[in-house]
Amino acid sequence: MPILTPTAATGARSMPQEMTYVDPARTMLPEESDSFLAGTDLNGSFVADLLSDVLAHERAGVMLYRSLAERSHNPVLKQKYRHFGDETESHVTIVEGLIRDLGGDPNYVSPAARATEKADMGLLESTFLMTGSVDLMTQELVMLDAVLLAEAKDHANWSCLSKLADQLPTGDVRAAFEGAIGQVEPQEDEHLGWAQDMRCKMISLQARSSAAQTLGAKAEEMVARIKGMFD
Amino acid sequence: MAFDPLEQTGIAVEDQFRNWSELNVTPFDKDTVDPYTRTRVILMNGIEVESILFSHQFARQTDNLELKRALAMSRRVEAHQQKVVNGLNPGDQTPLETTLGYEQVAVDLTAWLARHEPDPMLKQALDFALLEDFDHLYRYANLYDLLYGGHADDITQHLTEITPGRPTILEHRHPHDEVRKHFETHAVDPLSRMHVMTIVAGEQQTMNFYMNHGTDWVEPIARGTYAEIALIEEQHVTHYESLLDPLDSWIANWVFHEYNEVYLYWSMMQHESDRRIKAIWELHLNMELGQLQVACDFMRRYEGRDAAELLPPTLPDTPVTFEPNKDYVRQVLAEQIDLRTDGVDYVDVDSLPSDHRYFQYQALVNEGGAPSEEIIAQKLAKDSREYRDETEGEHPIADLRPQHAR
Repeated sequence: MPILTPTAATGARSMPQEMTYVDPARTMLPEESDSFLAGTDLNGSFVADLLSDVLAHERAGVMLYRSLAERSHNPVLKQKYRHFGDETESHVTIVEGLIRDLGGDPNYVSPAARATEKADMGLLESTFLMTGSVDLMTQELVMLDAVLLAEAKDHANWSCLSKLADQLPTGDVRAAFEGAIGQVEPQEDEHLGWAQDMRCKMISLQARSSAAQTLGAKAEEMVARIKGMFD
Repeated sequence: MAFDPLEQTGIAVEDQFRNWSELNVTPFDKDTVDPYTRTRVILMNGIEVESILFSHQFARQTDNLELKRALAMSRRVEAHQQKVVNGLNPGDQTPLETTLGYEQVAVDLTAWLARHEPDPMLKQALDFALLEDFDHLYRYANLYDLLYGGHADDITQHLTEITPGRPTILEHRHPHDEVRKHFETHAVDPLSRMHVMTIVAGEQQTMNFYMNHGTDWVEPIARGTYAEIALIEEQHVTHYESLLDPLDSWIANWVFHEYNEVYLYWSMMQHESDRRIKAIWELHLNMELGQLQVACDFMRRYEGRDAAELLPPTLPDTPVTFEPNKDYVRQVLAEQIDLRTDGVDYVDVDSLPSDHRYFQYQALVNEGGAPSEEIIAQKLAKDSREYRDETEGEHPIADLRPQHAR
């Protein structure tokens, strides 16, 4: 089981910023960050921060899928959220392994990772904080929106890492990147493609349904409709 | 023995409502109460008020019916707890006597937290404000003597020294110099998080108490003193709340609040000498365990994470303890009396340029004199001596010794 929320107990470290203080005992020192990927042409400290950011997004993805699988009323969506959640959890493990293989610390939470975590939590919160002012069908769509947006960034992360790896000379670093990318990128393609298609399908279904079906429906009727949506 | 709150079910929230008789508790006897029982009551009232205010703020961010109802439910029972805890204060304890209790909390809670704080930056934040609350106790003690001929040591029982700290008149700083850096939520020691949450709640309650009780007096000196010190407490709330990492989600903060309340009620139980009040701490501990379960369930279902990932595996071994901190306070006094703030940094007052906003703000608010100084002047004029309770010898700072002793 990978770590989804790094804490002091799991060895979390971070880097001080203008308004962020980190206990010296848990600080990622600049010299350590700079020495990451030493001997390559890459900006080690930037890549350390980037990989921490990618890891934060994968961790948030697991939380998002767990939450949606718990709350969706549609069995097809639930099953898919569980499946993608499991795959995303394996991505967390893969990114942690990649960081370790490159000599880094997967417990390091970079400033970029913090910003991503905030954005991702906002996305997750958008699926439940405002449910009182949207109908059940729209709630399902909001959940899919969150998946689409999360997967869009996820996909972009891995596409970018892939291009980065292509520019690296043959060697251990490139092999480590390629190993991770080879496992994750095809699944990210599938996740994003599914989210785009399913969102479009749900919108189309609703666009073609009669207004009376939606506006007058009681909650239990709506749930029944949602349950049978993709039968 | 290690105590993991997540393994305890406590009392289910739906079983936590009490009737009016149960809420209308018999107060303690102000003349015989252990001073540290009084401070425990004051602290836990502040903790409950914070939990209620936090819950209201959270509820305003959502229209999720299930979530709003769960918050309303927990908040109502927190409000019941607050009535019981605050109801322990007796009606014959005047607001000024209660104030002396508040400042005893501020001194001995802050000093204890600082002594046990593992993070050097957070320890510095506690030490800094400690000297200011320490001075407030001295000012209010003199006000108590001046207005009523009362002796503050009747309240504090010599457990806390009463003597000048960083003089209140010098504590007024520009708001920009009250904002601190925050800890990093992943890397922070869980004990540090609870220390900060506890002191924020304590200072907020003190601020609110002075905000509301400042007009209980006819005497301008009392009204002025409460206004002046209430504004320092506002500074302290700004100072301490800025230590909290804003990265944490609303639900995570809900879980952290409940966990901290569990820790504090468990702590209060450990040293409570009054058996009846100890039973209240124990009951409330079991209530908080039930409330924690609800918050954790929402975290699991809505945020897709197990609260055990965020929380320490067990409560800290050491309970938050009210006890004398005289040597520690004297040491901080000797070392840090001249500290001020410049932006997010602590600096010696001598290093500030003469046109620094600190001096500009000082000149502005102290232009007509400060009530906190006027108390001492009036007390000296009346009795030729100020009120002090220095049990450990003369003041460590020569300039702060009584004039006749300098």
